Amino acid sequence: MNVFKREMRANRKALIIWSIGVISMIASSMGKYAGLSASGQSINDLLAEMPQSLKAVMGMGTFDLTTAIGYFGVLFIYLAMMATIHSAMLGANIISKEEGDKTAEFLFSKPISRYKIISSKLLASFVNILILNLVTFVSSILMVQKYSKGEAVLGDITRLILGMFILQIIFLFIGTVIAAVSKHPKTAPTLAAGILLITFMLSIGIDLNSRLEKLKYLTPFKYFDAKNLISLRGFDSVYMILSVLIIAVLLSATYVFYKHRDLNI
Amino acid sequence: MNVIEINNLTKNYGKERGIIDVSFSVEEKEIFGFIGPNGAGKSTTLRTLLALIYPTSGSAKIFGKDCIKYGPEIKKEIGYLPSEVFYYDKMKVSDLLKYSASFYKKDCSKRISELAHAMDLNLNKKIDDLSFGNKKKVGIVQGLLHEPKLIILDEPTSGLDPLMQQKFFELLQEENKKGATILFSSHILGEVQRMCNRVAIIKEGRIIQLEKISALQENNYKKIRVQTTVKLDENYFNIDGVSNLVVSQNMISFLFKGNINSIMKKISEIEIINVWVEEPDLEEIFLHFYEKGA
Repeated sequence: MNVFKREMRANRKALIIWSIGVISMIASSMGKYAGLSASGQSINDLLAEMPQSLKAVMGMGTFDLTTAIGYFGVLFIYLAMMATIHSAMLGANIISKEEGDKTAEFLFSKPISRYKIISSKLLASFVNILILNLVTFVSSILMVQKYSKGEAVLGDITRLILGMFILQIIFLFIGTVIAAVSKHPKTAPTLAAGILLITFMLSIGIDLNSRLEKLKYLTPFKYFDAKNLISLRGFDSVYMILSVLIIAVLLSATYVFYKHRDLNI
Repeated sequence: MNVIEINNLTKNYGKERGIIDVSFSVEEKEIFGFIGPNGAGKSTTLRTLLALIYPTSGSAKIFGKDCIKYGPEIKKEIGYLPSEVFYYDKMKVSDLLKYSASFYKKDCSKRISELAHAMDLNLNKKIDDLSFGNKKKVGIVQGLLHEPKLIILDEPTSGLDPLMQQKFFELLQEENKKGATILFSSHILGEVQRMCNRVAIIKEGRIIQLEKISALQENNYKKIRVQTTVKLDENYFNIDGVSNLVVSQNMISFLFKGNINSIMKKISEIEIINVWVEEPDLEEIFLHFYEKGA
């Protein structure tokens, strides 16, 4: 419990800053929606004339931007991006910082097993991403409902944010596994961010070019595509199973690699 | 009883040498010195004992239990001071020590204030604001606050001023009297000589000598200087047991290990002006090992 508490305290400030970032992003974006919806149908006409590739790059796809939830669907990909960056950096950092800051020799000479240290750190980061998720969830509901003119949005937002949570977990463990394997602790967060960026670009690339369709299994961002989550299709069971498998593999790899390697001291 | 038992411990870092076939044991209530130059493998050995790194082959036991397999259990009774002290910069000293104490299931607050007082350490400062010497003091308090049965110290005195070194050695001697076993590494021979009962000398990853300090100093070695009337053949004293032979003008100096009679005979056969026979200090014995190898 002491390592858990220490990590919660050490990450508190960062979590507050990320939460403020997410809240202000939702608030300012939905504020723009208010202006947009005042212009009526014309925005959809305008978008219809925009080239498909440009819409794909901006994440607009096939959303109906005149509805609050459609607009939120566009916003979602950026929220997911933010939340996964937070997760990946947190995961990589929480493991690698003991070696990077050279505090490993202090912590690991205490009577506590590596298994317990990892577990405490994973639990602390899990609680951190859960809090950021809940902050996103609550502020999304409040802001979208404010502009939705009575449409039912709760179900859609719940599905979206749940999807985002699974994305957060996947990228958290991508971060931890990189830190667990890496022989250079300082590069772990950078590497995790790199992988995140590549998978994100790939998901946009798939939207741009239908010939890349087959690569959709390679990027978790495609597993929880906002347009599928908002429409009645909901969660795809193939993607759900895939997510669970990926999480299980990354989690056990984190434990196995970290337990058996020399600490970089 | 042996508190530490190291058997044929080998550690490679990829192709790089760490330590090769290291074996020695440390008895209960002993103060054991582990000396060698930087990069000889002292830290590697100590870090393997603490399961921070894993041996390539061989094994080590602490309190009779394998140090890797039973790591967390045996570490309850170990206090460790690394050679370079790094702590969580943003923490206050008192918070760090409380965090450290939280790993041991006992109340250490009284002991913390005693040690901090003895080492003249300000508990209310941030780690970030401490000088290197003061960080070292935090390390010392952190290593001793749970009254461990085994104290492992890696180059403990670097960064401490002489007065603090003195205080620190007094602390260690107190702990030792209370029953603690101490293993400490150093490249400063004076402190090893002053503190230790026995010593292992490591060079390029291998243990080259394992002896009682007293045996090293008194029994085996003589430091001999001879002043002669005429310049001698350089190889006159180059016999079995002679090392570190230096001939300059009429002065000859060397270390001798072996039957003292044989060297006295050699000396008696030449005309001499003066002769000195002294106990060598560890430094000279040490240098001898380094220059000539095992």
